[in-house]
Amino acid sequence: MIQFDQVTKRYPGGNEALKNLSFAIDSGEMVFLAGHSGAGKSTLLKLIAGIERATSGGVLVNGQNLSKLRPSQLPYVRQHIGLVFQDHKILFDRPVFDNVMLPLNIIGFDRRDAAKRVRAALDKVGLLGKEKAMPIHLSGGEQQRLCIARAVVHRPSILLADEPSANLDRAYALDIMELFKSFHQVGVTVLISAHDETLMEDYGRRIIRLREGQFAA
Amino acid sequence: MKHFLYLHALSARQALVKILRQPFGSLLSLLMLSVALALPLVLYLGVESTQTWVGKLTATPQISLFMELSAEDADLAAVKSSLASHPKVKSFSFVGKAEALAGLERRNGLDGLAEGLDSNPLPDAFVVTPATPEPRELEMLQKELSGLPMVESAQFDANWAKRLFGMVELTRHLTLFLGAALGLALVLVTHNTIRMQILAHRDEIEVSKLIGATDSFIRRPFLYHALWQGVLAGLIAWGLTSWLVASANPAVREFARLYNEQLELRPLAPLELLAMIAATGLLAMLGARLAANHHLRQIEPR
Ligand SMILES: Nc1ncnc2c1ncn2[C@@H]1O[C@H](COP(=O)(O)OP(=O)(O)OP(=O)(O)O)[C@@H](O)[C@H]1O
Ligand SMILES: [Mg+2]
Repeated sequence: MIQFDQVTKRYPGGNEALKNLSFAIDSGEMVFLAGHSGAGKSTLLKLIAGIERATSGGVLVNGQNLSKLRPSQLPYVRQHIGLVFQDHKILFDRPVFDNVMLPLNIIGFDRRDAAKRVRAALDKVGLLGKEKAMPIHLSGGEQQRLCIARAVVHRPSILLADEPSANLDRAYALDIMELFKSFHQVGVTVLISAHDETLMEDYGRRIIRLREGQFAA
Repeated sequence: MKHFLYLHALSARQALVKILRQPFGSLLSLLMLSVALALPLVLYLGVESTQTWVGKLTATPQISLFMELSAEDADLAAVKSSLASHPKVKSFSFVGKAEALAGLERRNGLDGLAEGLDSNPLPDAFVVTPATPEPRELEMLQKELSGLPMVESAQFDANWAKRLFGMVELTRHLTLFLGAALGLALVLVTHNTIRMQILAHRDEIEVSKLIGATDSFIRRPFLYHALWQGVLAGLIAWGLTSWLVASANPAVREFARLYNEQLELRPLAPLELLAMIAATGLLAMLGARLAANHHLRQIEPR
């Protein structure tokens, strides 16, 4: 489902964020990505979503080698991926409901069914009562859950979450982990990054540990 | 397919709503442009309405040959025979002084004019239709005829018509030039509006790209926005033009009546209106497309 073959990512300016990484994540697996700040977690997730391109090596997602795809084909890869961004990327000019609607508009979902989907996603993350609220009026944890609702509303086969529990207290962070577990249980491939490893260890899942762009021991 | 149309209808509606809500400044520039577009449109209608009339005038150049008031029947007979044998005269007709006066009375509603006059002030005249439409030959013919005995003058009737024709031609060129210039202005104005729209939606565009929006999905609302803007500008220009034509026509009719002619400006035909709306819509979309190509590329998500 997701496969890295000797992937190196060098940013303009010579900064090597990932160094010759190879690994594979099976379909339906739930995997954690750990590492300190600057270890390359976000970079790895962006390579899977085709937001950044590998400098060398192959990134395979759903059987497609992203390095060989034309830029015009990348949107269709992304439509099968749900992304929870480290910096949220919420649109503050529109209510919660419209934020979650965006992915459905993009894949061209029928409008009436779409509203049902949006409410189901908001219900799942516990924001159903806030659909008309403006995002600026949400707490940090609620904004985080808004991002998750937007990432899953179009039922992607892969869910990538970049530090979804950052800046949240432990109880709240555990809630969110439970949420991801429930997506994993319905067959979604889930990859979650965090720098707090203690949260991950409770789940007994595979942990990919990065340090300076390489696997840590 | 139905779904595809549904998406487009949705985009079109949202774009229309957005246009009506857009900043006053861009609405104002749209209005100004529409007013400017009305100008070549009115010129076009002016040219179209007068050209058949002017064409008719210039197609049959005629030379009026006025005799001296003292000309006798023998002089008339002499001129008649010269005209009949002249190779460059196609045909001619004689308008006697009495006939000319009666015609004047009849045409201008001046009944009783003849009674009020001691003697007929009008000369006998020949109306000569030359065999050639070539201006230089016509001029030579005119000189030659004016040199015949007892001929007071030979007037070239088509002279002023020629000038009028020239003016209409000039106006036609001006219309084309103005139309092209304003078409370009339409492209530039929509380019600018769409550029501002894109910059105003920067975040939305960036996030949309990140979660899988194709370029055409992102472009679509802007293209519709431009399409509506162009159609709206065309419609406003049309409305203005119709109003101008309607309010100018009484004066035009009155003016033409002075010359015993029937003339009025015609409104835009349905097909012409359709073509114009299509043109303004397409030009606006061209502007939007250029703006989108340039500015959407600059918004690459990270
Ligand atoms: N756009 C960029 N241009 C240049 N260098 C970059 C860019 N993005 C990341 N880097 C560098 O690549 C390295 C890895 O960055 P990355 O964002 O992947 O780390 P991270 O593990 O997500 O860190 P954090 O936990 O702070 O989010 C860092 O050294 C960073 O400075
Ligand atoms: Mg990061």
